[in-house]
Formats: sequence, structure tokens, C-alpha cells
Amino acid sequence: MTSAAAENTQVAETEDGVERKIVAFFCRECAYAAADATGNARVSLPTTIRSVLVPCTGRVSPLHLLSALADGADGAYVAGCLEGQCHYREGNLHALDRIEFAQALLESVGVEPERVQMFTMSAADAPRFVAAARKMDETISNLPPLKRN
Amino acid sequence: MRCGVFLCECGGNISGVLDLDLLGDSARGHDGVVSVSRNQFMCGTEGRRMIEQAVEDRGLDRIVIGACSRRFQGPTFERISRELGLGENAVAFANLREGCSFVHRNEPAKAQKKAEKIVSAAVARARFQSDLPRGRTFLHRSALVVGGGIAGITAAEELAGAGIDVYLVEREQSLGGYMARLSKTFPTEDCAMCSLAPQLTGAALEPRVHIHTLTDVTEISGPPGEFRVKLRQRPRFVSEACVGCDDCTPACPVSVSSEFDLGVAKRKAISRPFANAVPSLYAIDKRGSAPCKTACPANTSAQGYLALVAERRFDEAYRVASEPNPFPSVCGRICTHPCESACARAEVDQAVAIAALKRFVADRVGPEIVSERAPIIHSEKVAVVGAGPAGLTCARDLAKLGYKTTVFEALPVAGGMLKAGIPDYRLPKDVLGREIDQVTALGVELRLGKRAGSDFTIDGLLEDGYNAAFLAVGLQKSSEVEIPGAELEGTERAVEFLRRMNLGEPVSVGDRVVVIGGGDVALDAARSAIRLQKLSGRESKVTLAYRRTREEMPALDEEIEQAVDEGLEIEFLVAPLEIVGKNGRVSALKLQRCELGEPDASGRRRPVPIKGKTTEIEADTVVFAIGQDMVCDFLEGCEGVSVEKGQIRIDRETLMTDRAGVFAGGDAAATGGWTAIEAIAAGARAARSIHNHLRGETLLQVWEPEATEARPTAEEFSRRDVGRRIPITVLDKVERRGSWDEVVGGYSEEDAVAEASRCLACAVCSECEACVEACPAGAIELDQQEEFEELAVGAIVVTTGHKEFDAKRKTPLGFGRFSNVVTQSQVARLLSPSGPTAGELERPSDGAVPKKIFMLQCVGSRDCTASGNEHCSAICCLFSTLHASLIKQHYPDADVTIGYTDLRAPGKAHEEYYRLVQERGVRYVRSRVGEVMEEPDKSLRVRFEDTVTGRKNEELFDLVVLAAGLEASNGTTEIAHVAGLQQGAAGFIKEYHPKLKPVDTQRAGIFVAGTAQGPKNIPDTIAQAKAAAARVVSMLSAGFVLTPAQIASSDLEQCIGCGICESVCPQGAVKLSTGESPHSVVDANSCRGCGICVAECPSGAMSLGGFSDEEILAEVMV
Repeated sequence: MTSAAAENTQVAETEDGVERKIVAFFCRECAYAAADATGNARVSLPTTIRSVLVPCTGRVSPLHLLSALADGADGAYVAGCLEGQCHYREGNLHALDRIEFAQALLESVGVEPERVQMFTMSAADAPRFVAAARKMDETISNLPPLKRN
Repeated sequence: MRCGVFLCECGGNISGVLDLDLLGDSARGHDGVVSVSRNQFMCGTEGRRMIEQAVEDRGLDRIVIGACSRRFQGPTFERISRELGLGENAVAFANLREGCSFVHRNEPAKAQKKAEKIVSAAVARARFQSDLPRGRTFLHRSALVVGGGIAGITAAEELAGAGIDVYLVEREQSLGGYMARLSKTFPTEDCAMCSLAPQLTGAALEPRVHIHTLTDVTEISGPPGEFRVKLRQRPRFVSEACVGCDDCTPACPVSVSSEFDLGVAKRKAISRPFANAVPSLYAIDKRGSAPCKTACPANTSAQGYLALVAERRFDEAYRVASEPNPFPSVCGRICTHPCESACARAEVDQAVAIAALKRFVADRVGPEIVSERAPIIHSEKVAVVGAGPAGLTCARDLAKLGYKTTVFEALPVAGGMLKAGIPDYRLPKDVLGREIDQVTALGVELRLGKRAGSDFTIDGLLEDGYNAAFLAVGLQKSSEVEIPGAELEGTERAVEFLRRMNLGEPVSVGDRVVVIGGGDVALDAARSAIRLQKLSGRESKVTLAYRRTREEMPALDEEIEQAVDEGLEIEFLVAPLEIVGKNGRVSALKLQRCELGEPDASGRRRPVPIKGKTTEIEADTVVFAIGQDMVCDFLEGCEGVSVEKGQIRIDRETLMTDRAGVFAGGDAAATGGWTAIEAIAAGARAARSIHNHLRGETLLQVWEPEATEARPTAEEFSRRDVGRRIPITVLDKVERRGSWDEVVGGYSEEDAVAEASRCLACAVCSECEACVEACPAGAIELDQQEEFEELAVGAIVVTTGHKEFDAKRKTPLGFGRFSNVVTQSQVARLLSPSGPTAGELERPSDGAVPKKIFMLQCVGSRDCTASGNEHCSAICCLFSTLHASLIKQHYPDADVTIGYTDLRAPGKAHEEYYRLVQERGVRYVRSRVGEVMEEPDKSLRVRFEDTVTGRKNEELFDLVVLAAGLEASNGTTEIAHVAGLQQGAAGFIKEYHPKLKPVDTQRAGIFVAGTAQGPKNIPDTIAQAKAAAARVVSMLSAGFVLTPAQIASSDLEQCIGCGICESVCPQGAVKLSTGESPHSVVDANSCRGCGICVAECPSGAMSLGGFSDEEILAEVMV
């Protein structure tokens, strides 16, 4: 264990019970629709998730992801249409590229790359939406709060 | 900024979880917030008045709405803002309902905290929201209706009535959709076609309705009002000249399962789904070329003659097999049959025995065919040099084209390698002779024993009045052997050895024969040597020495197997080093042991000598079969005809040498492999090319156009029972060693018909052209191509309908496994007076009328398991009730039971109908079915639980009918992708609002109606279609549409002209300007506002209205 990671673990212990913040970018066509379906079904979601509506996941740039982390979020994710079903053809593929870019960037500065992730789902698939939100919440809650300089 | 925050209670949906007063207090603390209010329903009149008042009193320039998801009431508030003069981008949304109160009901404290953050993010965002300019779009007064079922026909008719031009696009060959399949309709029991037919005719006769069948919508672009639509029309292969006489269907040999009849009947490759079809034209289902046809160098439609053999139409099969090939009997025996290697049936079990079937039909019909002399209609004469398969095919085809053709042959006999190379036990000489006779009977003159070079020259032929020459001289000598001892007595060269033998010259072999090589010639030599030894009373002792392994052997598998059966020994991985002699005669062969190395140019692994490992085998005869070369001395001094790498140089496209009028092909100028079928193909191409050359224009295509290769559908594969190839008789493997009799026998008629029936009809239409001959109107056009069209329309209505749930997914119910388990839609076809059984309910296994019928409801509907759908399909209870009623009336003795989950009969007169049918004696049992099992007599044992009494039952039935539910059709899914529409559960297209905008979609200007939107009956479908038409009329009557606000724009100051935006835009809406300093330009009418270009722009020049970086980041950072 590196000293930085050890320090982080200590922080998590001392700050136990502190709720994390996760910024979630949802595309208008699929993920946001699935979010609405989830709401209508009154399914419980983690309160950590802060949703941001974008027209298409292709609109989300690394700037948005990294700014979220820099400004207080412990994690960020992008949720869009299923592969091959982007309403703008390839927006979700662009988003995936950028997620991978942001992950590489985070890794290079010693931040866990899994703090940014990508999920896909159809507009009708509330269960898949919920699973994504819960998985992201679990991942981030298991990580220490993001330490910033 | 002067911002007002408006918090909605949503009748308790929000305020029941969140304390809105507390939330308001926190909102008041944000910079720029000058007013906070709450209301029970902010989207209602009172809420609107509250907003108006606050804007006026407090001078608001920004509005924050804390309410439901922006996807629900967003447009309402944007409209209010626009009407108050603030512009629609002055509103920011805090999603307090779906995003908070609904999903955090159990954690109100945390929800409250989160709500504060959501509101504060919206306020932060509002600060950066600026007014977005919007343009006006012109409106085309026309509409596209996608899907020609009852919904599409109805919408089209309404629109035409309003004076709007309608393009009605249907992917099938006729309008009519699902309704055309129904027998009768509930609750009135009137005939479906009686209601539908006048609608169909009306659509056909309406001048404003432009019908496009067999057409797919491939692209929709542009803004509402000015949609640009691309259509792809698949060829019908039948022209407007079709009179609908039906003479073609009896002629067509190809039968496949009828999609229209949902598999309960077959149809031909040329067909019309029902008598009242619109358009009334037949269509040919041609899906490219079958793999066997594309694999054949001569482009023989093997599928065509197989289909005809299966129908016992042998004369026509012979015509199809012999048209591209004068040697069907020969090729049925010795062809390398690439068709069989390509045969898709191999994926089910084994390839169809195509070659053997060709032999069957050619042997049966060929001898009866008397060729008549072809009339000479052109004055030009053609000389063909070489009477092998290439030369004779070329001569035959030229004779048929009307040319006087003379074939010069060096040997005293015709046939080339077919005659002089292949031994009798593979190809009896009379078989070849018969087919050669048919060529000469056409008037082709054979001059035998005339050797090019010594008896005549090419120059001489051209001087003697021949206008063109085709050089098909083949490869007539064995390749040079360059090892020590190659000249010893007892060495043989395979080509010359086989030629002497086949021409009846004396040949003999020693007691121990070694043949070197691994191709067909090597095997011919080896198997002939076995026979020569046996026939001279000796034991056979023949060994084949080959450099590689069995896997790399170029000879046909069956040849190798038969040779080994005859006692041939094969030494693999050995290369000849030296022939050891004694007294000038061969005594042994020294071999180098090899191993396999890297693949060579041919893709086969190269033999590499293993150093120091040699072996010696005893031999008194060594036959070299290691390749052939051309005897090309006759070309010396022949100007313009040159030899390169052992082949005559030709232009690949025309087969012409560098000398005009002189052509070459076959083994001497091969464009493919050195096989008989390649030579035949080359001869046919040469004939066409020579004809073009002599006529001075391209009249015939030299090479067949490349066709898309057809493959059977997965469903076709799954339907096939495994049934291996019918074996062919082969002579006893011991006895045949001492005989020249033909080793492989032919099929009997019964076997041939059965074997041909194994064909999967990959391309459906086999291109046999039987319909061309049968059609009295000359309407068949087999060379029709796809056509593309572009339309400009103002609005689009999607009426692409549903499909039946695939009941195979419910395995325990036995559909697809047991023949007497059918679906209600199939029963609709069986009960239809115009259906395949003329309205008689015949059960599939034996055609008997079932006495006891069980109808099972909710198959794939109201089913939360992975293989089903959650929704109720809405029509099935009454669909089954209708069929039960019809059956009871037609067969009063029938015992019909409906096993239902809950009987649902809402809608006008439906409950009354249900009661009436109960009175007619139909038994309704509330039940849950466990399993359907098949008895030996094909009746069905149904195990079910009566859910009223709780009793478990088991009963026998003659027929089980499944009420398979509704799912979005494939066409619905395709149009959703093309048009960018959202699909909900089971693929149905999502309406804009489930109550208020039931026929609008998420995309402005595109509307939806009928079962594409969700399961519904015919009256509801028609009502929706009319509603969608009304929406189109109201939209097109407005005169203009506003361009969307949320589109990309480019800041020219910052743009560096890199062009990345252009390359990533999925709509082609961003283009780089031309000129000295290019910059990006956005077409406001094409941009759909996805923002991909904005995120990709490296200079920050691109921005998206409503979603600028500032707006997004403001929300992110709170």
C-alpha cells in the first residue's frame, strides 16, 4: 500500500458516514427517460446521485467530468443509450472514448480511474438504470472521499 | 440576474416528502433570487398566473421551476416563458419529483438536503442561460406514412382528403398489414377483408396517395416541415405489365414457407400474398444468388436445377444445367464442385450432392436431346484451337450465336484432357462422346489431327478468312523433372502416360509403382497403375509420394478415399531426391523427409527438408505428376501473342491477347484454377467476348455481374430436420481394382428427388427462369435493380405495426416442436375463406378437423419472466373468443376450451360478445398451464391448474392454440432507429405524453398511430390513425415551424478551421466553409442538437444552445 493510499484509508475511517457526491450525466433520449421511469415506479435510489441532463452523451467532454471531480464530486458517470442505439448514431461511442481518456488521465495523477464510468441502457430499462446508479454508488462509497490539493 | 424560484407541490407528490417552505428559505439565500413561491400544481392555470404575476411585479428575467422532470412539463414552462417575453431558455429546471421525492421517499432528511442542492444548481445554471435565436422553417404540404396496414391506409386517406400529398411506404409487396391476414373481426364477426378491401382499393385509386411497396425508409434528416427522406425500393422483378393471371406460380419450382400465411402454408418464389393485394402485381422473392451459383465459375444455377429435379421436371432441369455448360454429364462426374463446398446445407448436416444430381439429370435427359443445326446468321468465321472443354464450349456458344465455327485439334480425338487425361473408371468415354456429339450437331466443324505449328499457324488461320481465333490448347506436357535418374527406363510422366493409355496405346507398369504428386492427375495415374497391374494378373503395389500431408493434398477428398480403398499407399512429407538405377532401369527411389514450415503464396504450408533424413523405397516404375506446362512452340513468330509464366497473356476482362481478334482461355490462359469447370466457363466467356469483338459493340457481358450471395435465414436453418446426404452406390473396392468400369454409380429417380429436396433454396428464386417462359404478359424482369428515391415532406406518420410474440420462447408450450400447437394468428389464416384451407380448420399434423381444442391466453403477455412481456396485449381475449365462436358455429360438435388468466373485455359491445360466445357453448376455464406434451398420435396432453378451484388437471386435445401477444414489428424497430424515436417496453414507440399527446413522438413533426404505439384493436387503431392525420393537418396548416433552439453554433473568432466538427457530426449538419480561412458553418435545419461537435471542438468555438459549457458546469459544480 502506498503512503498516499494509506492516508486515504485513514481519512475514510475518520470521516466515516460522510455521504459521497456523484455527478451523473444522463442523455435525454435514453438514460434520463429511464430515470423518469424509475421515479414513476417509486424505486429507491442512492441520494448520492446528482443528475445533469444532456441532450446526448456525446455532449459530455472530459472537462465536465474532471471539473466535477475537481469541484467536490467523488465520482462521475455518464449514462446513455445502448451501443448501436444512440439517437445521434455515435454519441455514446464518443462518450466512451472520453471516459477512457479521463480514466487514463486520472490514473496518471494517482486517482482511481473507476471514479469515472460509463453505462448504457434503453429508455425503457429502469432496472438497468437502477443497477447502474447502485453500482456507481457502491464503487464510490467503497472508495475514500476524493482528496484534492 | 433577477430570478424567481417556483416550487410545485405536485398535489403532495413532492410536498409529501420535501418541506417546500424550508426549501424556499434556502433558495432565497442564493445570489440573484428575488422571489420564491409555491403552488399545488405549478403547471396548472393558477401556477401560470403566479409566474406571470411574479415576472411582472418583481421584474424577473430568469425562472427556476422546481417540479417534475423536465421531460414532462418542460415545454409547458418554456412556452409560458416565451409568451411572457423572456424567451424559452430563461427557464431552468430542478427535478424535484422523479429526481428526488419519488426516489428518496424513505430518506426525507437526505432528500431535503439533496433538493436544496438541486435547486441551487438550477439557480446557478439559470445565470448562464441566455435567449436563443430561432428561425422559421418552410413547410412542405406533403406527408410520409410509413407502414401500409390499416392504420397507414387510414391516415393516408384522411391526409389526402385534406389536400395533402401522401407517400405511403410499405416494406412488403402489398398494402394490408396484419388485418389482411384476419378471417373475421370481433365483436361483429364481419369479414376482415370485406372492410379492408374497399380501403385498399380507395388508397390505390386516390391520386394524392403515392404508394411505394417493397420499400424501406433508410434515412430521415432535416427539420420538421422540411424532412428529407431517403427510400430504397427493392426490386419486384415483375413489371407493371403483370396481369395477375397466376400462370407463373405453377411454373415456379421453388416452394418456401409463406410469411403471409404465418407458416401454415407454402408459397412459391413468385407470389402474391392475397387476391386483393395492392398493387395487384406478383413479386419474385430473389435474395441475390445462391452460394452454389456464385461459387460456380460457370455461374450455373444449381439451386435452379435442384428445385426442378425435386419437382420431377427433369427436362427443364437439364435446360438449366446445360445452358451454361455443354458437359453436364461429364461435370456431374469429374467436376471439383465448388458449389458443394459453398453449399449452406453443410451448416445443417451435409452439403447437397449437387454434382451427383447434375449427373442424374444429364444422364437421364441428355441422351434424348437431339441438337439441331444452329442457323448461321453472321458472315464471320471463327477458328478454335483445341477441342478440350474450353474450346468446345466456346465453339458451341458461338454456333448458337450464329457463327460458322471450326475446331482444330492436334489429337485424333476430341475432348482434350477429358478424353486424354481422365481414365474410364471416372469418366466413361461414351458419356463424353455423347456430349461432344451434341456440340458438333449444332454445326461446329471438328478438324482432328491438325496440330498448330506443324499443320497450320495462327497467322495462317487469320489469312485464310477466319475473323477471330480462340486458343484453348491446354497444358499438354508434364513439367520437367530435374533430379538425377529422371531419364532412366521405367520413369513416366503422368500426362503423357495417361494420354497414351486413354488413346488406347499400349502402356505397362512394373510391379512396384511410385507416383510422385498429390493432385488429381497423380491419383488418376496411381489408380490406373493399380488396374494395369491387376489386369495383367499381378498383385497391385502402388505408392503415392507427396511432399505435404493429407490436409494439403489438392486432389478431391472422394478421389483420395476411393484410391486408398483400392489399396493405394501414401507416403506423406517426402520429396524425391534421386532415382536409383540398375542396368539403366529404375530400381529404387531416394526420398528426402520433410516437415511443414510457413505457409507459401497458395496458403498451404511449405514442405521443408529435414536435414540428413532420407529414405529409399524400392520401385521399378516412377510416375511424375508434379505439374503441367504448355506446348507453346506454335506461337513462335505469332505477332501480338506472348507467353508469360507459362500462360498466354490476355486481357482479363475480354480474354483477348495483345493481338486483336485472337483470344485465349482454359488451362493455357487461366483466370481461375486449372479445372474443367474453369475451362468451360472461360470458353463461354470467350464466345461472348468474340461476339462483342466481331459485332463491334458490347452486346453481351463477358463476366457475370457480381451478385450478392444469399443465405438462408436463421429461421430457415432452424426449421430443417437433420437428414444426411443420400449415399451413392460405389463398386466393390476389391473387384473394381481389376476393372475399368465406372466406380461411382448414379442416383435412382427416387433418391435424386429426395436428395434434391434437401436444398435450402438459399436465394429463394433460383433463377431457373421457368416463370419467364410461363408469363404470357412478358412481365418478368430478372435484372431489375434496387432503386433509390429522395422525398421532401412536411410531416411523418409512423404506422409500422406489431408482430406476434414468438411463442417458441415459451418452450414448455411446445410451439415449434409439436405440429398441432399453433397460434391464434395461424388459426386466423386457417379460418379465412380465402386462406390456404379455404376456411376449413385443418390441424397441421394430418389435416383432420380437430374435435377438442384448447386455447391458451396470455402467451408472452402479462408475463414478468425473462422470456415474456409484462404488458397485456389487449386484443387476445376477444381474438380467441372470436375464433372459438367461429369454430363452434362452423363445427357445432367441436369442444372449445379457453384457458384464461383474467378475461378482459372492455370496449364497446365486447362484454356482451363474450357473454354471447359463452352461450354458444365455449368453455372458459380460469387456469394456469404447466406444460403441453405430445402423444404418439400427435394429439396434445395439456397439464393445467384450474385457478378457481385450485385443482390440477390433465386433458387431451387435438389442437392447442396459443394467444401469442403483440410486440413491436421489426419495421417499427427499424423506423425508430432511422427516425431517432424512443421505444418503450416490447419495442413500442413512445408517445410524447401518454395522455395528452398520445400520437406525437419525441421528435417534432413525427407522429405515431396503431399497434406501432402499443397493442390495440382495429377501431382504436383507426381512431389513432385519424388523430395522427389531424395532428399533421394542424401542423401543416400553421404555415411555418420554428427552428429548434437547441442547436450548435460556431464562434468564428475562435474557430481554427480544423474540421473535426464536420467529421463527427452524425447529421452532416456542420460543414467547413471553403476559401482561404475555412471555418465551421452549422445548418440550423439539419442540426439536431446532440452536441458531439461541441465536446470534440479543440478550440472552444462550438457551442450548443441551452447546453453551453457554462450552463453544464454551473450545474455540476454545486
